[in-house]
Amino acid sequence: MQEFISFGIQWLPELLKGVPITLSLWIIAITLGFFLGLALCWARVYGNRLFYWISTVYVELFRGTPMLVQMFFIYLGLPQVGIVFDAFTAAVIAITLNSAAYQAEYFRGSVLSVPKGQIVAARACGMTQWQAIRHIMLPQALRRVIPQWSNEAIIELKFTSIAYTIGVVEITAIAYDVGSRTLDFFMIFLWAGLIYLALTSTVASLLGWLERRTYVPGVTSI
Amino acid sequence: MDIYDVLLRDFPFLLKGLGVAIVLLAALLAIGFLLGMAICLITLYGPKTRLVQWPLVVYERVFRGVPIIIMLFIFFYGLSGIADIPAFTAAILAMGLRSAAYQSQIFRSAFQSVPAGQMMAARAMGMSKVKAIRHIIFPQAARHAIGPWTNEFSSEIKETSLAYVIGVVELTRQAHYIITSTQGNVLTVFAVVALLYFILNRAGNSLLYAFERKLAVPGFEK
Amino acid sequence: MADDLILDVQDVKKAYDGLEVLKGISFGLRKGDTKVLIGPSGSGKSTLLRCINHLTVPDAGRIYLNGHEVLDDNIDAMRARMGFVFQDFNLFSHLSVLDNVRICQIKVNGATKEAATQRAKRELERVGLGDKADAYPAELSGGQQQRVSIARALAMDPDVLLFDEPTSALDPELTGEVVRVMQQLAAEGMTMVVVTHEMSFARQAADEIIFMENGHIVEQGTPDAMFTDSVHERTRAFLNVIAEHG
Ligand SMILES: Nc1ncnc2c1ncn2[C@@H]1O[C@H](COP(=O)(O)OP(=O)(O)O)[C@@H](O)[C@H]1O
Ligand SMILES: [Mg+2]
Repeated sequence: MQEFISFGIQWLPELLKGVPITLSLWIIAITLGFFLGLALCWARVYGNRLFYWISTVYVELFRGTPMLVQMFFIYLGLPQVGIVFDAFTAAVIAITLNSAAYQAEYFRGSVLSVPKGQIVAARACGMTQWQAIRHIMLPQALRRVIPQWSNEAIIELKFTSIAYTIGVVEITAIAYDVGSRTLDFFMIFLWAGLIYLALTSTVASLLGWLERRTYVPGVTSI
Repeated sequence: MDIYDVLLRDFPFLLKGLGVAIVLLAALLAIGFLLGMAICLITLYGPKTRLVQWPLVVYERVFRGVPIIIMLFIFFYGLSGIADIPAFTAAILAMGLRSAAYQSQIFRSAFQSVPAGQMMAARAMGMSKVKAIRHIIFPQAARHAIGPWTNEFSSEIKETSLAYVIGVVELTRQAHYIITSTQGNVLTVFAVVALLYFILNRAGNSLLYAFERKLAVPGFEK
Repeated sequence: MADDLILDVQDVKKAYDGLEVLKGISFGLRKGDTKVLIGPSGSGKSTLLRCINHLTVPDAGRIYLNGHEVLDDNIDAMRARMGFVFQDFNLFSHLSVLDNVRICQIKVNGATKEAATQRAKRELERVGLGDKADAYPAELSGGQQQRVSIARALAMDPDVLLFDEPTSALDPELTGEVVRVMQQLAAEGMTMVVVTHEMSFARQAADEIIFMENGHIVEQGTPDAMFTDSVHERTRAFLNVIAEHG
């Protein structure tokens, strides 16, 4: 135990340098994934046949294959056809595209769970289709989706560790590096695990707070 | 040799990698099922003392809050310090124990969605608690659980690819070996690998859907 | 304890967090008796019924079924001899009607599948649902579900049936079919304790009506006595309210 703590005191500062990289990778990717997910959801629920079809194939492909393979495809595969990204950008793109597929599915489920009468009532009082979606449907759908969205966001936070396989210097990569220098992989990965645990727990409580803040009786439950 | 000759020549290796992935998947799901069910039953029906319940809560938090890559490293390096354990075994343990944390939660909410009146009626008819759980609660919970369990199955298929990081020669690592010998024809190889995962996922899902339909009774359909 | 009592409830008490819900209730049933338990909401009727088969464990008092005391040790065997009909039916939702009526015969009483099937079919006929054996609970109306739950209880060949407001969860037009089944059972000599606000049933089928309030038995007597000249003002007031709204 004492060894574990002194090891931590020595190497924790090094590990913590990875936290901003991990977090920025995550925040950029889930934010972009949020908007792409909304677009995909829109295409699937309200789009014409072409959009519906494209969106469905996209979602199925990205949900049907591993993130690791997607990342390799983008970072190692695309250069073959002349498209080259640095590792960080490639990781952002992979996590964004992957997350968008899942977010789109959650959005779709929640959009479909808003009673039809809501839109009808909005149109009946003179709103346009777009206004009805923007002011009536979205506020309800987004509230309902928070629990699933939170799960998804936390899954992606953990998935940022996959970026280490293509050389992004985030927490996992630094841990591996420290491991090779000290030859004590076990210790350093325990510490890395603790950091991730702290990050995911913090994010989970923040999102739980958001869920309570936006609570409306009858629309969502706590 | 062009890429298709290479793929054709090396396809047996990919299939072998796929086989390893499937064995890993089956083993981790089995461990996750047994342990997850045990955890679920103890949290719901076991003694409500802190001494029993707290460790289970911590177990779930830790395994759900830490990226699987980190867990794989911790088990791989941690166990190798104790005994000479192959990477494959470390992967089964790390992923199985983690899946247990997810499956226990799936089972718990499934059990909890069986109305309390069902247990009460079974007990009122003279069933013991064990009989009531076995004949009345479990069959209903299973029907609630199978949908979420299918999702867990899907995530785990894709996450078997991450066993790559500790050197398990599963599908993704086989792909890497092939790439080295094709001098950079990466796109096609990863496309084929992605397709194999996709097919495996689809096949598994179809089986589980068929099972779900077989179990379906009025009042329990989706 | 009189030995000819099928069910003998002696001085049962129950409190929830200091709130005394049952303050010492005693009554008994002979074979074939039908007793109707009435009283305002919250007076402890459900608690009393649930104490009888230990779905709620009483704080004090004794309960005898056929001369054997109901105890935690023998509770499963005792419950198998007491049918319980719930307000909200609680049919096993994953089982067909036939299986609902069979399962406890097989798993609790150890009946063979053939014997259980025969018995189940007979009881379903008895409640007028012989043609619904293959349906699932979700496919039945509330009245039909409640009749299945009565058949389920009957199939265990119980010494006594306990009904907790069996028609309260039903739409008014569906109560009749359930009340008729209960009347028929009473006429056939079933031993029953029935909590209900169906005064037509109480009047016709009850050997005795027990009026409860605040955890006490205030008054008990034959339907004639109770409806025409109940002694206590509270009983009269309650019966008047029921007569107006029921
Ligand atoms: N499980 C319980 N915990 C606490 N109080 C209860 C519980 N069950 C019943 N009570 C209380 O006991 C009283 C009697 O309830 P109940 O037996 O259901 O009355 P009735 O069936 O006559 O309407 C009520 O005040 C009720 O709130
Ligand atoms: Mg009641």
